[in-house]
Amino acid sequence: MIPEKEITCIVCPIGCKIIIGKQGERLVVLNGNKCKKGIEYARNEVFDPRRMLTSSIRVKGGEWPLVSVKSTNPIPKDKIFTVLEEVQNTTIKAPVKSHQIIIKNVANTGIDIITTKTVHSLKKQGNFL
Amino acid sequence: MGILCQMKNFQVAIIGGGVIGSALAWELSHYKINVVVFEMGSDVASATSKANSGVIHSGINSPPSSLKARFCVQGNRMFQLLATELGFPLKWIGKYVIAKNEDEIKELERLKKIGDLNNVAGLEIHDGLLVKRKEPNISCIAGLWVPTAGIVAPYEYTIALAENAVENDVRFLLETKVFYLKKKPSHFVLGTNNGEFLADVVVNAAGLNCREIVSMIETPDFQIYPCRGEYLVLDKTYSSLVQSMVYPVPIKDLGVLGVHITPTIDGNILLGPSAEFIDDFSDTSTTKEMMNLLLQEAREIIPAIPKNAVINAYAGIRCKLASQKTGGWADYRIEESKHIPGLIHLLGIESPGLTAAPAIAKELTQMISQWIDLKKKTHVRTQAVRRRGFSEMSPDEQSALIQRDERWGRIVCRCEQVTEAEVIDALSNPLKAQTFSSVKYRCRAGMGRCQGGFCTQHIVRIMEQQLHMDARQLKLKSPNSHLFTGQVREETQ
Amino acid sequence: MIEQDADVVVVGGGPAGLAAAVSAKQHGANRVIVLDRNQWLGGILPQCIHDGFGVEEFGISMTGPEYAERYIEMAQSQRILCFAETMVLRFNKALEIIAVNKKGMYKLKTKAMILATGCREKTRWQSMIPGSRPSGIYTAGVAQGLINLYNIMPGKKIVILGSGDVGLIIARRLKFEGAHVMGVVELLPYASGLPRNIVQCLDDFDIPLYLNHTVTSIAGKERLEKVTIQQVDDTMAPIPATEMQIACDTLLLSLGLIPENELAKTTGVEIDDYTGGPIVDERLETTIPGVFACGNCLQVYDTVDMLSFDAKKTGKHAAEHSFKKQSIKQDRKKGLTVHAGDGVRYVVPQRIFTCGTVHFTLRADTPRGISILRLTVGKKELLKKKLLGVNPVSMIRIDAHIPTEILTNNKQVEVTISDT
Repeated sequence: MIPEKEITCIVCPIGCKIIIGKQGERLVVLNGNKCKKGIEYARNEVFDPRRMLTSSIRVKGGEWPLVSVKSTNPIPKDKIFTVLEEVQNTTIKAPVKSHQIIIKNVANTGIDIITTKTVHSLKKQGNFL
Repeated sequence: MGILCQMKNFQVAIIGGGVIGSALAWELSHYKINVVVFEMGSDVASATSKANSGVIHSGINSPPSSLKARFCVQGNRMFQLLATELGFPLKWIGKYVIAKNEDEIKELERLKKIGDLNNVAGLEIHDGLLVKRKEPNISCIAGLWVPTAGIVAPYEYTIALAENAVENDVRFLLETKVFYLKKKPSHFVLGTNNGEFLADVVVNAAGLNCREIVSMIETPDFQIYPCRGEYLVLDKTYSSLVQSMVYPVPIKDLGVLGVHITPTIDGNILLGPSAEFIDDFSDTSTTKEMMNLLLQEAREIIPAIPKNAVINAYAGIRCKLASQKTGGWADYRIEESKHIPGLIHLLGIESPGLTAAPAIAKELTQMISQWIDLKKKTHVRTQAVRRRGFSEMSPDEQSALIQRDERWGRIVCRCEQVTEAEVIDALSNPLKAQTFSSVKYRCRAGMGRCQGGFCTQHIVRIMEQQLHMDARQLKLKSPNSHLFTGQVREETQ
Repeated sequence: MIEQDADVVVVGGGPAGLAAAVSAKQHGANRVIVLDRNQWLGGILPQCIHDGFGVEEFGISMTGPEYAERYIEMAQSQRILCFAETMVLRFNKALEIIAVNKKGMYKLKTKAMILATGCREKTRWQSMIPGSRPSGIYTAGVAQGLINLYNIMPGKKIVILGSGDVGLIIARRLKFEGAHVMGVVELLPYASGLPRNIVQCLDDFDIPLYLNHTVTSIAGKERLEKVTIQQVDDTMAPIPATEMQIACDTLLLSLGLIPENELAKTTGVEIDDYTGGPIVDERLETTIPGVFACGNCLQVYDTVDMLSFDAKKTGKHAAEHSFKKQSIKQDRKKGLTVHAGDGVRYVVPQRIFTCGTVHFTLRADTPRGISILRLTVGKKELLKKKLLGVNPVSMIRIDAHIPTEILTNNKQVEVTISDT
């Protein structure tokens, strides 16, 4: 008897409901996925669940008080709040370019936190007119 | 909030910064006396005075020889001059009371008789066809035309009174609640959360709190029966559906009018008020049944109103002196205390209170003159020019303003076309009212169909800058209605 | 009044406006101007700091700001003039646009105009939620902007009404920033957001999801103190005695979007009551010649990728319109109306004036399993397609060929979805 579990894949907006089971110690994807990424996701979700993290970092002297950031890769689920704490305790100075590394190897995950937006120094306002 | 008011002794202390208190303050500001107004809310007109229809009534609804009738008709006649002098908008759009059957036509005739007895000018009964010509969306068999009915924004009117009073040295203490009132041989002592004050004369214009004030110093001989009125506000898109106010024939037993359709001075339409006796006089909740009923009844009168026309809803409480059982009608009580000289109580000031306010203020001034020698000031600071909004100006005026100050070119409220300059101006008001609502009621930002969807970020930003406050300190409308709980990333030391 | 001429003016510099502007330039339009009322370009995207954008279009999952920056760079490299903090006040049928910013009043005379004005959020009053009116009630988008752009925390104990993606995303964001998310309340028997967001935003944090529930009362003297939620039956009516009170200080409303077309309505652009957006033809031109539309103001999209894809078509057509010697005098009497028939909530475009392949976007009015989508003109079937499952929350996109003879016969195209 193979015990089954249904998980929702989060890789893309479709959100396939994938049915997984265990044959002995091995994970088996029974059905539900529309592509290969789903199999990989299902496997990871059981053995090494991870999530992409997006958040903000405080900027001083910028046209905006915060810069949006993301993790360069999905972070282990059980480390998310540790990573967040480090992100929340970080402050940087403007100007900041998009895709600039702010925290290298955050919380020892081997993953970096990078900006996803440009924040100019406060003097330079109204770039567009 | 530290209110630095060095003066503690006043000749007149007014409890309540609603329309009555503000009208009296304004009236008294023409005399050489010291006046203070205690208002527990964060702005003037923070309770019933802002939550009504904004109608300047003609006087057809009050029994002749009642105070309500007398002050309503007197007040009505004063309004045009007041509007010009104080610079608040006023329109004499007139009112139709419509009849759908013969019985109701008899009601129209009865109302006209009352109006005639009250010296209301220009009343005419029009047949259904004439009403249809003037109001294409209204079907009825007859309508009583009341040309002397007008509309104002009740908060704009109250603010205009209060701000001009401040310009003429009346002190308004906001967020200041009176906790005790004592009579000493030669003066009164008023204890507030901002210290103790002395006054020769005290006027209790506390509205729904009038009984609480009476109880501080004597035994009240009355009860208050709060009667809530809910309103719906319709999108400006539908403003062309009616030109004047349209009321069905009044429902007799409650002593209040039925569901009205009232165009507002800004181009919205108000539906309401409902009339519901409740227990808690501070419960201004709106209810599902009343909101549905208001919309349903309005659509029976004007089927062209779509179901999704509502952009806002609010409620005000009538301070009634008569219970539902007894029919709910009682006249105003504007009287000196029976036992305590120098103390005046205003009890049961409900509709037509807004209209009656200037006349009541004159009456109160008369009453006060028996205790204080009132000498007229030779010079009074008048309201220079009516504060006009960007949206009301011509393109040339708009251009010129932007050249002078670029903040006129930054529109922060899209729905009502309000600029940054107007928001800053609203925040610099002489009353020092510093809430989101005090901006809203002065320049209309946030009152449009998106209800702050676009402007909230801007008004907040401007409030932070102008008031030198951080997010945590900003309030919506009353002393403890904070908008936010802090920052996402707090400033670490 | 500062007077300027343009070939294409785009009202709205969000993803739709930028994509349309870039496309217009690429298709030969000369002077293209984008106007946006915010101090930034990108519309709503700069506050959407979560990822999931651009998967279809670029093959990578980007955050909103990253997606916006791509298009802003494209616009800059195409030398498109972008006026930020500029509000369009009105325009007329001669395509004279009056706009205002801190430099003054502008009158822009243009050959073609694109409406890309996006949406506004539904407020408490569209649902007439009863109760008091304390502070602490925000629409989800406003809260998201305050949090992500202005560093302002709206509250500490949050209830979210509406399980669309906006509500789900903000639930997670609030949880990350230390707030207690008491629950997400949803009227329907299913969550309306993407399954991946239910997982990432609710399941991951054990945030309760109350399906078949709605908020029936709001209480709080000055600041919000609690909400009452109640179960609803299949007519959406609250079921008596199922009230539950949740103590909270913040209520976020994620009730849906309303296409923002007040500007267009004032000028007389005809609006489709079902999309909430302008009635357009296959070239995305509205009922006013020279005025085109794209993005969320035309119809609310599911993903920005689809939105940009369609917006580029609008840009192309607007460009072509701008360099025709005379304005296109389409024989608007000879054309087809496209009607949303049984099973279909709405279809875009609503008019067809040229034969050939037309791209349709539509939504089903109810969830169904295997269904048949049909386009018919009278008895003639133009298209019949089997769909594996339909849902109002997923936009359906199909191409159909409109033959010349149908066009000249001036009929109606009926679009239906049925079980068989």
